Amino acid sequence: MAVVEVAKEAEVGSPTKQRPKANKQFRDRNQIMLARLGWRFTTPALVIVGAITIFPVVFSIVLSLSNVNITGNGFQLQGFTFSNYSLLIHSSEWRYSLGFTVFYTFVTVFIEVVLGTAFAVLMEKLSKGRGPMMALLLLPWSIITVISAELWQYVYQGTYGVLQYLINSIGFGKPVILGTPTPAIIAMMAADIWKTTPFVAVIVLAGLVMLPSDVFEAASVDGCSPWQSFWKITFPLLRPTLSIAVLFRILQAFGVFDLPFVLTSGGPGTSTTSLAILGYKVMFNNLEFGPGSAVAVSATLLVLIGCLLFLRAFRSQVNGGDL
Amino acid sequence: MNSDQVEPKARIRRRRGGKYAVALATSSFILAACGSSASSSSSSSATTAASSGPQTITWWSSPLGAGSADIRSNLISAFEKVYPNIKVNLVSAPTNTDTNRAQLTTQISGGSTSPDVFMGDVIWPAQFGAHGLALPLSKYLPSSYWSQFAPGLVQGATYKGQVYGSPLFEDQGFLFYRKDLLQAANLPVPTTWEQLQQEAVQLVKSGAVQNGFVWEGNSYEGLTCNFMEYLGSAGGNVVNSGYTQSTINSAAGQRALTFMRSLITSGASPASVTTMQEPQAESTFVAGNAAFLRNWSYAWSDSQTSAGSAVVGKVGVTTLPTFAGQSGTGYANIGGWNLYVNPHSTHLSADLTFIKWMAGTTAQTMLANASFIPTLQSVRQQFAASTTAPPPLQIAAKENLIPRPSGSPNYAAVSQAIYTNVNSALTGSSSVSAALSSAASQMNSALSGGL
Repeated sequence: MAVVEVAKEAEVGSPTKQRPKANKQFRDRNQIMLARLGWRFTTPALVIVGAITIFPVVFSIVLSLSNVNITGNGFQLQGFTFSNYSLLIHSSEWRYSLGFTVFYTFVTVFIEVVLGTAFAVLMEKLSKGRGPMMALLLLPWSIITVISAELWQYVYQGTYGVLQYLINSIGFGKPVILGTPTPAIIAMMAADIWKTTPFVAVIVLAGLVMLPSDVFEAASVDGCSPWQSFWKITFPLLRPTLSIAVLFRILQAFGVFDLPFVLTSGGPGTSTTSLAILGYKVMFNNLEFGPGSAVAVSATLLVLIGCLLFLRAFRSQVNGGDL
Repeated sequence: MNSDQVEPKARIRRRRGGKYAVALATSSFILAACGSSASSSSSSSATTAASSGPQTITWWSSPLGAGSADIRSNLISAFEKVYPNIKVNLVSAPTNTDTNRAQLTTQISGGSTSPDVFMGDVIWPAQFGAHGLALPLSKYLPSSYWSQFAPGLVQGATYKGQVYGSPLFEDQGFLFYRKDLLQAANLPVPTTWEQLQQEAVQLVKSGAVQNGFVWEGNSYEGLTCNFMEYLGSAGGNVVNSGYTQSTINSAAGQRALTFMRSLITSGASPASVTTMQEPQAESTFVAGNAAFLRNWSYAWSDSQTSAGSAVVGKVGVTTLPTFAGQSGTGYANIGGWNLYVNPHSTHLSADLTFIKWMAGTTAQTMLANASFIPTLQSVRQQFAASTTAPPPLQIAAKENLIPRPSGSPNYAAVSQAIYTNVNSALTGSSSVSAALSSAASQMNSALSGGL
């Protein structure tokens, strides 16, 4: 039986060997046709994507390097200048916002990754009910940030807030959470962590499920404790997945806007003014589009540099994970 | 074979040509989109639409009154009855003044011909005038039109000699108090800030009420209004007359801000006042949880609407207090809204007809009955003399008024410098003098066109 099958395969395969050149040419032309068709189909989409992503980015770079005057007829660009950037560097508000955004990004991303990984490991251990648990876990992530920020507002609010009531009822007075700088920053971070930990957990869980089980079997045969096997096997194998999660989170956290916009509108004082909030205020409240664009471009450049450095440091992990 | 090889190349070339064509087409499309704004404007200024056929104009306005009390559609139908040839299409604008402005500036600077007429904040004329986002109405309306408004309002709508907004209704800060609580504790209606503070502390300590005095202390535009009132009572101002230098860091500034902070530290105001905007302050008072409230005139009708109010019939309104040792009443900040015309509007004559009607007796009376302070001097005086008019309208003329420094086109940044620093002094995260000096330097940088 087996011999017959092999023979059949040989027969089927043989014509290919006989006319390799013609077939190759046929394949090339076919591929060209396909490629051409592909280009035709994707061009409209590419053009639209280009128009709505590349054009605004280039335009805001141009704005940030010009003396911009907004008029009833749109923007007037008057000459090339670096003054928008020197304005930023000399502005204490920009320096504060930069420091705040970097600090906020570091703390939230770190905690989210730790918590998210812990949740993912727990979820992986679950044999039953992983689906409902996953749905429950994803709930915060699926709520639009503006809505969830409004919900947190009810928790933190200074007059009828739930948290203030709880703290008061156990005899610690009536703290004004969103009206005092440090508690306001912590409160905002908590809301962010609550919302985006599930995102990290889901990515890490996907990575965990893909890990080969034989390594773990071998480890347990060799008498590895669960703690050891997590740090020596799971964690190193998960690093590619984790790097992707961290990268996504850095990009998002660095541009945080909706949370402070709803919760504190940048206050108290300027203590929760992220770069995105500052850019919005400068552009759309003060109509200073030159300096405002410089704020936006500075934020983009910094997060780009940050991500490139991160990718460089974790290049082997990101590439090695076949992701 | 040879021809076979040539053909794909030719096709590739053709294909590339196609790609360039697509790219060119798209880029020219974008250019056209940008360019259209430039071309449309040149034609619009020349247009004074013929008043013959029926026209539709768009009116951009945030709600005038809450829920069913909103009088915008009543105003429109009354107008359409008088001018059947002009239809007014209402676009409901955001209630948050900053969001409202962001949408308008994007739309108008993009060359949109709509809205034709927009209701805008009284602090916008300089910014909109300087950037050409509103039509200089004084070019189209005679001085006899402008002289019928209450004094000071037209001046507030003027930038560099041109009037940009036609005053629609005015607003100012008032002190609302609980008549029943003061009576029970045998306390007089306060006339100085110190007296207000002391009575508030007394009422809170006696357990008569949860909070003493609530006002708008959040880090936003409303705090600039509140701060201006204390500063005015203390005899100060925030900028010099030429809008070149901040004068906030003065003895008066010290006195005003030190007092505001002491309202919180003494317990006269809850610490959460630093997170309150108008709705939070008002709802605390209206729910019966505060003895005193600083708010705008509409808080009167809200507190007397039995649906959401626990204090119907228990509220008194008076002029804002002043500091001990100063004569007269306190200073109230000027708020309110004007009507502006989009410079791209293609229905200028209809726009002007609408604006003139809104400044007329019929519309102003409708506004006054809804407890908005009318801007037309004759209607205002009539309501001030009436004993049945909403109380804020009766006492409005008795208050001293202090405007915000909105004569600068960079007012938004100036105000931001004021409210962020005042807020951080209120929360205790910076000292009064540090906040004032930081506000002064940020204001100076804003006045000279900085961040």
